[in-house]
Amino acid sequence: MSYTRLVIANLLRNKLRTAFTGGAITLAVVLVCLLLTMPAALDRLLENAASDVRISVHHKAGLVYSMPESFTRKVRAVDGVEAAVGMVWYGGAFEESGKVTFPNFAVEAEHLGAVYPDYPIEPEQLADFVRYRDGAIVGRQTMDKYDWDLGDRIALTSTIWPVNLDFRIVGVIEDPQAPSLWFSREYLDQALEAQLGEGLGVVGTIWVRAAAPELVGPIMQTVDEMSRNSEAETASETEKSFFTNFFGSLQGFVQIILVVTGLVTLCIIFIAANTASMNVRERSGEIAVLKAIGFARRSIFGALFGEAVLVSTLAGVLGLGLAIGLTTYLRSFANGGGLGPMSGFVLTGPVLVQGLFLSLFIGMLAGVVPSVGAARKPVVEALREIF
Amino acid sequence: MSATEALIDVRNVTRHYQRGPDEIHALDDLTLSIPTGHFVALMGPSGSGKSTLLNLISGIDRPSSGDVVVAGQTLNDLSEDELAKWRARHVGLIFQFFNLIPVLSARENVALPLLLTDLSKAEQGERARTALRVVGLEDRMDHFPATLSGGEQQRVAIARAVVTDPDLIVADEPTGDLDARNAEAILDLLRALKTSFGKTIVMVTHDPRALRFVDDAHHLDKGVLLDDEAAARASEALQASLGSAPPTEAVES
Repeated sequence: MSYTRLVIANLLRNKLRTAFTGGAITLAVVLVCLLLTMPAALDRLLENAASDVRISVHHKAGLVYSMPESFTRKVRAVDGVEAAVGMVWYGGAFEESGKVTFPNFAVEAEHLGAVYPDYPIEPEQLADFVRYRDGAIVGRQTMDKYDWDLGDRIALTSTIWPVNLDFRIVGVIEDPQAPSLWFSREYLDQALEAQLGEGLGVVGTIWVRAAAPELVGPIMQTVDEMSRNSEAETASETEKSFFTNFFGSLQGFVQIILVVTGLVTLCIIFIAANTASMNVRERSGEIAVLKAIGFARRSIFGALFGEAVLVSTLAGVLGLGLAIGLTTYLRSFANGGGLGPMSGFVLTGPVLVQGLFLSLFIGMLAGVVPSVGAARKPVVEALREIF
Repeated sequence: MSATEALIDVRNVTRHYQRGPDEIHALDDLTLSIPTGHFVALMGPSGSGKSTLLNLISGIDRPSSGDVVVAGQTLNDLSEDELAKWRARHVGLIFQFFNLIPVLSARENVALPLLLTDLSKAEQGERARTALRVVGLEDRMDHFPATLSGGEQQRVAIARAVVTDPDLIVADEPTGDLDARNAEAILDLLRALKTSFGKTIVMVTHDPRALRFVDDAHHLDKGVLLDDEAAARASEALQASLGSAPPTEAVES
């Protein structure tokens, strides 16, 4: 006979109740762990994606507004600018549903490589991209999602422009989390000219590569100065700032979910505390007898508190296992192109520790009040209640 | 401690307690001495104070005034935790409703008080087995309370009370929830614990059959011990009620 055996036997007394209580705690731990990975994943995503020498220049009013095409050339002439490439959102849908499932842009093919020298693209593929008017460079994530290969021909139906283009894949961004498709601006320009009698004439975003990190600030200032009082005033920002703003709404969403999760956790603490109280109440006779035969207050408290902590810790460990499984699944799903930025969601050591502490915390908080109450009640009073 | 020496000395004990707006006078200036190795019954009508006296003797409750001395220890001087420790070492408790832990086997129930000792797991198991052998349940030690009869459960409870080899065994109406046959078996077993192992046993009971098994019976009424004459009248009344009690079969313990 041991205290552990006593605690386990009591936990197994009402298996369904223990399972439900544990299940609630498991769910809380899974939820909290999944949500805690989101802010960290976004930070990691920004760190990986953003360069300290790249600048985004776009219309001050927002990304949906365009700037004159000629502005790209002016930006390229600014002191300290090593390269600049204009991009236009094509909004092409590959699937029959007409949904845009990956970002796709018309870009100035000859300037792309100079702005993104850090991207894993083979130089020969960049050369082919410049050479073939209908060439496209595609991110590995999208390549894998649709099982495309180099040399494949694909057709995208634009949701923005009155043209539908087909492309030859000539290059791949070899990053499993890269979703974008880039094609030549000239190709779209000519198609529009043929269709509407006039070409693009505008640019959506200009990506600039500065010669050195310390030049980023002066370049942004100069570019915005250049457009002041024009019809298309610009707002320049660093790449990191651009992505942060882009995912800003997602971060707000994460915060809301964290608040909701906190409330759910609080509810689960109350549920677990209520269950622990019911356990103590139902066993008041046995507890009184244990006290009468010599179990001290500390022993009674330890046994009851141990039950609450043991069930919550076991449930927490189960929750961590489930959370690891879920994030692994989400990552594999995301790498197939389904969840974009969520492909970076990894259950890190600190998040696992936080999950484990959460389950311990729930158990301790739920168990402490009924355990103290049962332990403190004088033995004669406890016996009088049952006899 | 010799057989004639008093194991229990209750000196001028008063016990009052509050129940709602009323103050209950459970015991009033009661003095009682119980020698070592005696099997004593505390008898009396409901509310006479016999259970309160039992609680004081077993260190579960404290007197409002007066002294309770058991095995040389004045219980008034001990804190709640010290009393718990003292009970674990010196007292074996038996209750009317057995109060076994339903999720533990008979052997585990008996071994429960041994958790409070320094005995190894093997020693605990051996002690529990011995105690169950004494009460005749060695062959049922792996059974759970729900699979045992009322009489068997009470015998497990008795084994739990004696497993620590206490100086004193107190029993609060141990036959109160048993049929006549099992009640006699339990009384016989308690008597055997007294005669074979020299245990001092104090038992609260309403059961007139108990008079045949005990060395002394003390009658209480309204918180005081009855004098010899009143006690004799009460005893005669009980014996008379025993005569009208339904016949019981002989029972082997």
